Amino acid sequence: MMLKIRNLQKNFDDLEVLKDINIDVDEGEVVCIIGPSGSGKSTLLRCINQLEIPTAGDIEYKGKSVTGGEIKLRDFREEVGMVFQRFNLFPMKTVLGNVTLAPVLTKHKNKKEAEEKAMELLRKVGLENKASAMPAMLSGGQQQRVAIARALAMEPQALLFDEPTSALDPELVGEVLNVMKELAKEGMTMVVVTHEMAFARDVSDKVIFMDDGYVVEEGTPHEVLENPKEERTKAFLSRFLNS
Amino acid sequence: MDLSFLNVLLPMLFQGLKVTLYIAVVGILLGFLLGAVTGFVLQTNCRILKAIAGVYIWIIRATPLIVQALYVYYVVPKLIGVDLSSNTAGIIVITVNSGAFIAEIVRGALEGIDPGQREAGLSLGLTPTQTMFHIIIPPAFRSMLPALFNQFIISVKDTALLSVIVVNEITKQIQNYAAISFRTIEAYTTGAVFYLVLISILIILQKLVEHKIRG
Repeated sequence: MMLKIRNLQKNFDDLEVLKDINIDVDEGEVVCIIGPSGSGKSTLLRCINQLEIPTAGDIEYKGKSVTGGEIKLRDFREEVGMVFQRFNLFPMKTVLGNVTLAPVLTKHKNKKEAEEKAMELLRKVGLENKASAMPAMLSGGQQQRVAIARALAMEPQALLFDEPTSALDPELVGEVLNVMKELAKEGMTMVVVTHEMAFARDVSDKVIFMDDGYVVEEGTPHEVLENPKEERTKAFLSRFLNS
Repeated sequence: MDLSFLNVLLPMLFQGLKVTLYIAVVGILLGFLLGAVTGFVLQTNCRILKAIAGVYIWIIRATPLIVQALYVYYVVPKLIGVDLSSNTAGIIVITVNSGAFIAEIVRGALEGIDPGQREAGLSLGLTPTQTMFHIIIPPAFRSMLPALFNQFIISVKDTALLSVIVVNEITKQIQNYAAISFRTIEAYTTGAVFYLVLISILIILQKLVEHKIRG
């Protein structure tokens, strides 16, 4: 078991955003989290890597409690990377600078090694010719691919994706999803909050439907997306497919 | 028109310019250090430090610069038992005064950085300190440069008030010339034009800096 989430709760003042979340993620598994806006999907992801501090509950990574401090937060974050909806590239650094910054600062690599690795990753996401470009010169899809390369540069064991294509123009979604599919094929453990039902159906091993701070239903894509048992899942999917 | 008075007045004004720029530049640099620290403190969650910073900014904003200057020059030496030269007192006044305003500039610039930048840094395994110095500060510093330059221009003009504590900056030199020559009109008119040219040059420099930043 790579990630084990137990009884996770998150309140913002009086608002209970996550009520009682239990999720398991196995090594090499691709888990897609779907659900309506405000259901707590993004908060869940942000709680996993502690950008939000959970109100209660436990998160374990490879048997060590993250919330209980059995693994240092920095070490955990190095092993579980994150890709954001709005890319969050560093605007004053080149594409190459974005990708090499963390490996060099955390002393995992010297500058030369980091640059070699970065070029390899940029090739992988199809952007080796943009290494010296500034982020503002890139399209959203290109920026998100750089963000993925940046996360991969830390050689993580797992990646969290927080609606990675929601800020993109429709014609740019495909290029990002393709990179993610490639990663899934290579066996990367991924937790993906997404509205891309086709991606969830084709790529994920497990689909989790969240609503109102609870996991309502989980199972294989076939089970959850095509034969949902719960009324709320059915209602969401029919609303989604008809919109 | 007889302009021969300029033979005496202009050298005095340039002498004053040296003092004005010396005090303004040293004052703004030290003020930046003070303001940066205060601006950081305002961003933290430490209530005691925030309260101290808040009181400091409040006192500076709620008292006239001229009173601050008189206080530093006449009262502080009595309290600590050390004599301050006019120039030293002047630098202290400009430092403490500009620091309070720079603190707000720094706070605004730090708050203007998308929180996603910090999250991206942390999620890559950087420490909060690394995130601050490598990710937040570079763009924040760039965005605050125009406001800092503006504060510098304000501080250069503020040095005129230091004439009350006998700092021999431009305004003091104008007064000195008027006092010895009785040429009041010539002294103050030339002095005003001198400031106008000086500040105009700084405004042009500021525009160049802004232009460079916007790229």
